Amino acid sequence: MTFSDWLRVDRLPHIYCAGCGNGTVINCTLSAVDQMGWKKEETVFVSGIGCSSRAPGYIVTDSLHTTHGRALAFATGIKLANPSLNVVVFTGDGDLAAIGGNHFIHACRRNIDITVVCMNNMIYGMTGGQGSPTTPRMALSTTTPYGSVEPAFDLCELAIAAGANYVSRWTSYHVKELTRAILAGLRTPGLSFIEALVQCPTNYGRRNRYRQAIDQIEYFKEHGMLVEKARRLREEGKEIPPDTIILGELARRNRPAMGVKA
Amino acid sequence: MKLHVDEKRCKGCNLCTLVCPYRIFRPGKRPNQKGVFVPELDRPERCPNTRLQALYGRTLCGMCQMICPDQAISWEEEKKGEKRKVAIEF
Ligand SMILES: Cc1ncc(C[n+]2csc(CCOP(=O)(O)OP(=O)(O)O)c2C)c(N)n1
Ligand code: SF4
Ligand code: SF4
Ligand code: SF4
Repeated sequence: MTFSDWLRVDRLPHIYCAGCGNGTVINCTLSAVDQMGWKKEETVFVSGIGCSSRAPGYIVTDSLHTTHGRALAFATGIKLANPSLNVVVFTGDGDLAAIGGNHFIHACRRNIDITVVCMNNMIYGMTGGQGSPTTPRMALSTTTPYGSVEPAFDLCELAIAAGANYVSRWTSYHVKELTRAILAGLRTPGLSFIEALVQCPTNYGRRNRYRQAIDQIEYFKEHGMLVEKARRLREEGKEIPPDTIILGELARRNRPAMGVKA
Repeated sequence: MKLHVDEKRCKGCNLCTLVCPYRIFRPGKRPNQKGVFVPELDRPERCPNTRLQALYGRTLCGMCQMICPDQAISWEEEKKGEKRKVAIEF
């Protein structure tokens, strides 16, 4: 089997804009799920609201497309009601960190045995490009027309501080690494959080000097830095450029987890 | 096997042109019926999957297929009796 066996082909092509990174993250997630050898009847995909959250609609398994920000609350319910199910959550940066921020930190604190894949496009894509908690400083959006003055959330740091067992960050350019990270997350008991930075050519790219989807992918490629290198530079007292994207496995530990299959 | 781009799914984003180590994909020059500039293929028989996928029993490289946000890239079995081109680059 390959990842394409998990797709609802009658629903394709999907509604995402040309070059939207969400489609790539679906490929990587399904590829990891496929490598787990899970049965379709025992796997559930859960999402909130947003472009990213439409992903489960293109997957053959049972799924829950819930209310905005509440994907993790529903996923917690599923996992505690039936721990034998494999639960994977797709969410967006707005869904996870703005309206769903409290659910996020408490799901990490409880360390519930689910895998959360956040497609972080640094903007509210579906509603037309408002700023989100991860919109970088000085980035343009419809609600920050002169550049965002607020510092952005680091979702991975947040997940680590709140208690998630596995935390990793990659981008839609790093397809192999992202797939491996999701696979490691699926294998780890407790909450696994994988942040995938994605391009949103329509609402983020267009306003922020990335005219084509490919331009933002090039940015990810050039500004990514492995966490091991970043640690080394810090130890040597060297400076890390402020727009660097730290990539790789940021946490892997063994805190007590909830809802693990007996 | 042969490399296939599904014109019904492709939205012409050109991400495949960026990742292929053999530069098999080139930005399309003419729009199809849907107005999409589907990439052109430059000697696709150079892709290792066209010759070796069946032998190895798995997808080799596969970068284009994984990054394609529209699930438009796949490898198809040739029809019986269909001529097969082989190209090897050194
Ligand atoms: C309770 C509620 N408030 C607001 C909305 C409007 N809304 C829909 S999607 C969205 C933001 C989506 O952003 P994100 O989660 O980053 O996903 P993206 O579309 O960028 O993938 C908002 C505010 C809603 N659907 N429900
Ligand atoms: S608005 Fe952005 S996130 Fe939504 S489908 Fe289009 S490119 Fe993707
Ligand atoms: S990556 Fe996929 S959708 Fe984009 S141009 Fe290539 S084949 Fe078409
Ligand atoms: S599998 Fe690799 S070599 Fe073959 S066409 Fe795709 S990117 Fe090129």
